[in-house]
Amino acid sequence: MNKTWLKWAAVSTPALIALGCATYPDQATTRQVAEKMVSEDFTAPTPALLKRLVQDRSQQVCSKIGDAKLTQEEAAEVVKLARDSIRYPAAGKLVGDWKVGEKLALDGAGDRIQGGILEKRKENGGLCQNCHALAPGEINVGNVGPSLTGYGLQRGNSEAIAKLTYERIYNGWAYAPCSNMPRLGATGHLTPEQISHMVAYLIDPQSPVNTK
Amino acid sequence: MPRKQNSITALAVVCLATWGAAPAMAQSGDPLAVGRQMLAEDNPGELWIERGKTLFHQKRGPQDASLEQCDFGLGPGKLEGATTRLPRYFPDTDRVQDLESRLLTCMVQLQGFNRDDIVKRAISPAGSNGSDVEALTLYITSRSNGMKMNVSLSHQKEYDMYKAGEYLFYRRSGQTDFACVQCHGGANKRIRLQDLIHMTDKKGVQEVVSTWPAYRGAHFVVRTMQWRLSDCFWQMRLPELTYASDVSIALTTYLHYQGNGAVIKVPGFKR
Repeated sequence: MNKTWLKWAAVSTPALIALGCATYPDQATTRQVAEKMVSEDFTAPTPALLKRLVQDRSQQVCSKIGDAKLTQEEAAEVVKLARDSIRYPAAGKLVGDWKVGEKLALDGAGDRIQGGILEKRKENGGLCQNCHALAPGEINVGNVGPSLTGYGLQRGNSEAIAKLTYERIYNGWAYAPCSNMPRLGATGHLTPEQISHMVAYLIDPQSPVNTK
Repeated sequence: MPRKQNSITALAVVCLATWGAAPAMAQSGDPLAVGRQMLAEDNPGELWIERGKTLFHQKRGPQDASLEQCDFGLGPGKLEGATTRLPRYFPDTDRVQDLESRLLTCMVQLQGFNRDDIVKRAISPAGSNGSDVEALTLYITSRSNGMKMNVSLSHQKEYDMYKAGEYLFYRRSGQTDFACVQCHGGANKRIRLQDLIHMTDKKGVQEVVSTWPAYRGAHFVVRTMQWRLSDCFWQMRLPELTYASDVSIALTTYLHYQGNGAVIKVPGFKR
């Protein structure tokens, strides 16, 4: 035990001398250190799934630390990348079936990885209700995003509203760069058809979201 | 007669406590607060402390040794206040370590356990009897109960770890575009009915750093900070965080340092 203590003292003395000299690393060094950790500290059932950790350009720009603000140039770049990313359903129909959309909106599952296994389902859930209030009276709703109760009542269901709603779900950063809202279509979490059903759930007058 | 008086006093105290709680609930507008309070007062996690204590002193592993010589930073076997200073730099491993990674070091070096075997079992299945690591982590942390978090960044590697943790807290990736801050950057936020702690706020982050390990009601087991982090990454649809990895220690260092001053009170109680 004494020997261990001596070894400790020998190692820790220089460390103690260094005490007080420690400084924050510069941003580039921190980034390098942290990115190396990310590349080494996760596992996945297939190498392709590890790519989820790799940031695209927009995610890099949108990872500002603390209260740091986007510059105008950065915001414009994110908006442009978002605009260019948006794809529409093959049939061109932006408003689908609200009943299908409802099921999706309440579904928070799909594509998670645990115990070396990817959660495989026919399709991913839309995750909407995790963060947004939707149909009035439903209690089990999150509030990370704004309430969407009465969305269609307030905005109507014109073609313009349908397109705006579709685009805000597919890639909301085209309108609010770096907002907390996931780019559900652009990142591949949802398909264009799924999003069209969610649009219907939000704007269809028959949808529970728009119950008066 | 004195006994009767006592019970009346006790009843009065309970009533007063209830009256006290009711306006508080009305004020915060949180109908779940009362239920949470009731659960926290009768915490099954307490049972894990005794088990952790037994495991700590028992001679175990291929080297038939206890953990009594394990140094958590204040000297071999010194547990009082040790977790208030974690994560910290350890010269013998030349690494910044949190409680769980340090415990791993000792279980491997002193007791001769196989590292991969411990890591595989570290996070127990829901509804099980819990893992040795979970019980030990709770016991060791409980020896700092009532003491204030006091993490230091005096070593360069501690600074580097802290800054990496900060970077990671804000690093967005994956198909949900989430970093930690998307859910934990605001006050009074919830994912469905689950409260999200406001971690960019001093009080919020202090709640985080002082209540893990915690008894998780939905899982019927004690969960540790390592579990908490890995579960977040799971919900974010990211690959699996390696137990006791640098990413986990960086995030823990970032949170713990900011939570300095918080009084440790474990086991916490979570939904």
